[in-house]
Amino acid sequence: MRPRDIACSDEPLFELLRQDDHAEAPAEIAHHLDTCERCRSRMEVLAAEPADWERARATLSAAATGFPGESRAMFDRVGTWKTWKLPTSSVDSMVRQVLLEPSHPEMLGRIGRYDVERVIGAGGMGIVFKAFDTELNRPVAIKVLAPNLAGNGSARQRFAREARAAAAVVHEHVVAIHNVETGGPAPFLVMPYVAGESLQQRIDREGPLGLKEILRISMQTAAGLAAAHAQGLVHRDVKPSNILLEDGVDRALLTDFGLAQANDDASLTHTGFHPGTPQYMSPEQARGDAVDARSDLFSLGSVMYAMAAGRPPFRAETSLAVLRRITDTEPRPIREINPELPDWLGKVISHLLAKSPGRRFSSAAELAATLEQCLAHVQHPTSSRLPETCRTATKFSGKGLLRALQERKTAVLAIAVPLAAAVAFAFLGPRTRPLDPSDRALNQPSARGNSDRNDETSTPSSPSIDWNHSAAEIQSFADDLARDAKRIEQLWDEEPLPSQGVRP
Amino acid sequence: MSLSPPDTRFSLILRLRDVADHAAWDEVLEVYGPLVFRCARQRGLQAADAEDVVQEVFSAVARSVEQWLNQAQRGRFRSWLLGITRNIAINVLTRAPRGGVGHGGDVGLAELTAMPDPDGVNSRLFDREFEWQVYHWAASRVRDSVKAVTWEAFHLTHLEGLTAQETADRLGISLGNVYIARSRVMSRLKEVVRQFEVTE
Repeated sequence: MRPRDIACSDEPLFELLRQDDHAEAPAEIAHHLDTCERCRSRMEVLAAEPADWERARATLSAAATGFPGESRAMFDRVGTWKTWKLPTSSVDSMVRQVLLEPSHPEMLGRIGRYDVERVIGAGGMGIVFKAFDTELNRPVAIKVLAPNLAGNGSARQRFAREARAAAAVVHEHVVAIHNVETGGPAPFLVMPYVAGESLQQRIDREGPLGLKEILRISMQTAAGLAAAHAQGLVHRDVKPSNILLEDGVDRALLTDFGLAQANDDASLTHTGFHPGTPQYMSPEQARGDAVDARSDLFSLGSVMYAMAAGRPPFRAETSLAVLRRITDTEPRPIREINPELPDWLGKVISHLLAKSPGRRFSSAAELAATLEQCLAHVQHPTSSRLPETCRTATKFSGKGLLRALQERKTAVLAIAVPLAAAVAFAFLGPRTRPLDPSDRALNQPSARGNSDRNDETSTPSSPSIDWNHSAAEIQSFADDLARDAKRIEQLWDEEPLPSQGVRP
Repeated sequence: MSLSPPDTRFSLILRLRDVADHAAWDEVLEVYGPLVFRCARQRGLQAADAEDVVQEVFSAVARSVEQWLNQAQRGRFRSWLLGITRNIAINVLTRAPRGGVGHGGDVGLAELTAMPDPDGVNSRLFDREFEWQVYHWAASRVRDSVKAVTWEAFHLTHLEGLTAQETADRLGISLGNVYIARSRVMSRLKEVVRQFEVTE
C-alpha cells in the first residue's frame, strides 16, 4: 500500500525474475511496481536488452515472415520434424564400419564397385544406402547387413540365403535384386533405386487413401506376393514401409523380401535396436507359431486397413500389448472410421484379417484377382460386376465354421448348440423367410456351390430335407450363420459389437 | 518441462560431439531440423527430398562436428549448417532426380541452374528463418514452464500491443503483476534462445 517503503534497487527485481513463476510474487514488490516507473523499466532491462525484446516481438508476432512462399503451417500440420529423431550414434558407427573411404569428396564412401551417396534408412538388420553403380552407370539402393550381425555366422548365412531366394522373384511389383555380395566383411545386396516414397510415408502425409488407390496398391502388392509365394518364399514382414510407391507412375513395389526371417535370430535382441513395429504381424506370427503364405495375407489385410483408416488395425502402448490385440481382438470396423468406403471393402479386409489362416483368402493370387475385379467395378460400375467374394459377409464354408467352432471352447459351444438347432430348422422347418429376389439372384451361382459343399461336409444327410428350397434361401441362411459366427467370435473376444445402426 | 540451467547454454553444440547424447541431439534437431527442411524446400526440393536432406545434413554433422569444433576460426554453427545444407541439397537436386519415369532429372537441374547466385540472399534469409524458428521453439518451452496468466500478460502487452492497464483489467491481476509477468517471460525466453547463439 505504501510503495515508497521499499527502496528502489535492482536486487529484489532480479530475484523476482528468477523466482519460480508458480509461487506468488512478494506483495510489497508487486505493489511497488504498480506505481514505480523507474523500477518497471529497470526490471525490463534486467530481463533482456531492448534488442532482445524487439527480436521477440518481430519473430513471435503473427506478421513475422521468413522464407517466402513456404508455408510453415503446412509443415507443422505434417508434423514431420517429430520423426527426425536420428539414432545417430548407431547409424554413424555402422556407416563408418561398412564403408571404405570415398573416391569423391561429396560421397559418403564406397562399398564394392559402388559409390555410396547417402543413407536412405537404417534399422536393426542393417543400413540402406543410395549409391551409384560405377560400372553400369545407374543409381542403386544397397542394403548392408549390420556389422554386429555380420560376424554372426548364422545371421550371415541367413542373409545370403534369403537374398538369393528373393533374387529369384522377378515380378513387376517386386523390387528386383541386382546383386548379392556375401564374401566381404559386410555382406550386402544391391537393388534398383526407386524414386518415390513408401506407403508408410504416404499414409503419414495424406492420411487415409482413396478407394481406387487402396485397391490398386493392394492389388499390385498381392500380385507381387503371389509371385513370391509361387517361389515358396514367405515375406513375413509385409507392412507399409516395405511397399514402395514409385513417383510418376502408378506402381507399387514390394521390397525387403524374406529378410525379416533373420529377425528371429536371437542375436538381434542384443543389438539394442528397437525390434520394430509388430503392428502388421499375423496372429500366428504373434504367437510364434509356424507361418506360411497365409500369414502374409493377414499382414496385407492390416496394410489395407491402414490405407483405409489412416492407422493400423491393432494399436497399443507396448509391443506386447499389440501382439495380444492381434491374437485376441477384432479391430474396429473400418466403416466406423471411414464411412465413405463401401461396405464390401470392409468385408474383403475382415476376410483377410480372419484369425484362423484357413478362413482367409486361399492365396495371394486369388486376392489379387478379386481386387482386380473390385477395381474394374469401381472404375466401370455398370459394365463390371463386383466379384462374388465381396458380396457375401464372409466366405461361407460349413467345414470352416465347424472348425472355427471346434477351436473355441465350451462357452462358445453353449451358443453353438442353439445355432445348430437354427440350422436344422432352416433346412427342415417351414419357409419363414421372405426372399429379396433382386439381391439373392446375384448370389445364385455361389450359393449353389456352397450348398453342395455343405452337403458333403457338415450337414448330416437326412431324407426329410426339402431340396426344393431355393439355393438363394440357403445362401441367405449361410450369410446369417456366418454373421452369427462373427458375432460369437466378437463376444468371445469381448469386443463391443458393431452397432447395427451403421450397417446398411 | 524444465529449462536447461544457464551454465549449459553455450554447450549444446559442444555436446553434439557425443553422438549418444540424445537429449542434445533432440534439442538441436527440434530447432535446426525444420530450418534445414525449409531451406531445402526453398532450394526447389520436394517435401520427401527435403526430408532426405534433413537426414543427410544431420548425419554429416554427426560425422564431422568434432572436426568443426576443433577449428580455430569456425564461425557460427548455423553458417556451417547452411553450407552443408546447400551442398547436400544441390547433391540431391543433381544426383537424385525425383519422379523417375516421365518426370526426369532435367527438371531438378533446370531449377538449380535457374537460380541466381543465391548465397548472399539465402544466408540472410536463413538467419531470419533461424531466428523465427528459435524464438518459436523457445516460446513453446517458456509457455509450458510458466502460469497461463503470466504468458498471457507477455503476449497481450508485447505481441498484441495492449497497454499494461488494459491487460491488467482483462486478466484480473494488478498492474505490478503485469510488469512482473511480462519481464519474467522475456527473461526466460532470452535464456532459452541463448542456447542457440553459438559463439565464435
